Amino acid sequence: MRSRLALRFAALGYLALLLGVPVALVFINAFEDGIAAAWEAVTTPEAQHAFYLTRVMVAVAVPLNTIFGVLCALAIVRQRFRGRALLNAMVDLPFAVSPVVVGLALLLVYGRRDGWVGEWLAERGIQVIFSTPGMILATMFVSLPFVVREVIPVLREIGTEQEQAAATLGAGRFQTFFRVTLPAIRWGVAYGVVLTTARALGEFGAVSVVSGKISGRTETATLFVENRFQRFDLTGAYAASVVLALLALATLLAMNLAGPKKEAL
Amino acid sequence: MSIVVDSVSKRFGGFVALDDVSLEVRDGSLTALLGPSGGGKSTLLRVIAGLELPDEGSVNIGGEDATRTPPQRRNVGFVFQHYAAFKHMTVSKNVAFGLTIRRRPREEIDARVQELLELVHLDGFAHRYPSQLSGGQRQRMALARALAVQPRVLLLDEPFGALDATVRKELREWLRRLHDEVHVTTVFVTHDQEEAMEVAEQIVVLNHGRIEQVGSPRDLYERPANDFVMHFVGPVAELAGHPIRPHDMDILTEPVAGAVEAMIERVAHLGFEVRVDLTLGDGERTWAQITRAQADELELAPGTIVWLRAISDATTRPAIASGA
Repeated sequence: MRSRLALRFAALGYLALLLGVPVALVFINAFEDGIAAAWEAVTTPEAQHAFYLTRVMVAVAVPLNTIFGVLCALAIVRQRFRGRALLNAMVDLPFAVSPVVVGLALLLVYGRRDGWVGEWLAERGIQVIFSTPGMILATMFVSLPFVVREVIPVLREIGTEQEQAAATLGAGRFQTFFRVTLPAIRWGVAYGVVLTTARALGEFGAVSVVSGKISGRTETATLFVENRFQRFDLTGAYAASVVLALLALATLLAMNLAGPKKEAL
Repeated sequence: MSIVVDSVSKRFGGFVALDDVSLEVRDGSLTALLGPSGGGKSTLLRVIAGLELPDEGSVNIGGEDATRTPPQRRNVGFVFQHYAAFKHMTVSKNVAFGLTIRRRPREEIDARVQELLELVHLDGFAHRYPSQLSGGQRQRMALARALAVQPRVLLLDEPFGALDATVRKELREWLRRLHDEVHVTTVFVTHDQEEAMEVAEQIVVLNHGRIEQVGSPRDLYERPANDFVMHFVGPVAELAGHPIRPHDMDILTEPVAGAVEAMIERVAHLGFEVRVDLTLGDGERTWAQITRAQADELELAPGTIVWLRAISDATTRPAIASGA
């Protein structure tokens, strides 16, 4: 009895110290000068633009990585081809490589002066680095593995019999995918989408390197937090952090509300 | 519709699953593919369904060459060992799947689903999910789903393999009756010789990717083409070095020409049947199956000396028949 209590206490205490206290302090500090001050700090044009840019990152990176993630998982699980193991390993690359390195790598490819294709693109009026496209690429890079990794085990588990049954009943490849495969893997996809969204919301390092951090132009919400913090605008930094934290919480909540119903288990 | 499989071979890497297999299945018949696991029976069924492409040979369904036809357009019903139920759909949506794909009118689908659920005794379960059904109910749902599109042939891959013994026996009988009602050409795979004998009109014995014998249950039991079939479809004892069905032995209390002397080791009463274990003069052991009445009449007891011989119409392999 005592050991069970101790176990619970240890788990909760660990979480409280590591997660609960710091996050709570962020909330407390954000509202130290009152709700009005906090509200004002996150409604300045710079702040509004930063949140807008973060929404753009999420709006582009999440759907593209979801579609790619499902297709990639299907290729890895359902097909046999040369380079399948390589593809499988490559997907994990964003987990292994530090986001700063990702940012630098993007500079090497798209940088205007000495990037691999940067000059060619610049001549055609396309600016990637220090601009939204580069930041989207950085966000997509770091949030790529989540859907793939969540969907692969679910695809393995459901096997191919349901798909074969659909085929013998006359369903074509697309009908089988949309009527049988996708509904069967939907909770894996949903969880992958939540993780991708959280990662896209919170990405700092890679975006920081390729953004140029131009306030009001290439500043996402996380960059905005850093910017405010360095200028000793603590209310602004903490208030923006609270908004980010609430967005992440809302994502998790949405997933739980729409969560698996009994037939899926 | 009839099915004609002609010289089909299929390899998986180095493993030969089917080796030059040819088979005819009559229109409206009920056929079992019987054999040990790895013998090729499931592969043959999947080749007929179009779920596997043969490396060589052809498949003809209802007079049309279907070798290259994808499963979607073969119009076969297929039932899997582990049901392959669509878990996210209700029972009625599962059964309706093939009709929904074919864009049939709503009223027609509803009527057909209702009719099929009654046929498989699942009316009342229409709005349940597969996870709320027992194994036997799930398999009946899978059967209704396969029958909904009025398939030209019905293929079942170890359909009762995942069910417990009681439900298995029930479903066997039920499949038999269903076939009498629906009359669709049916082929099912099983490794259980009793199941094949009880349900099928025609049994195809497959081993190592080859067909060992095709025949009625009685043919196979009484006139096995070789040792493998003889051992696979029924009990076998040895008498003077030859395989023999244990109930095809006469036990005599007096020596006669051609009979072999033996001593009774044990007499076991198994209800109607009595099992007699014997040792022959050369130390070989064998056993015989007789009725209780015979055992009583012969007054068999351990230690008694008796004489054994094959009855006149004993089951034999061709090798023995030609040697006699």
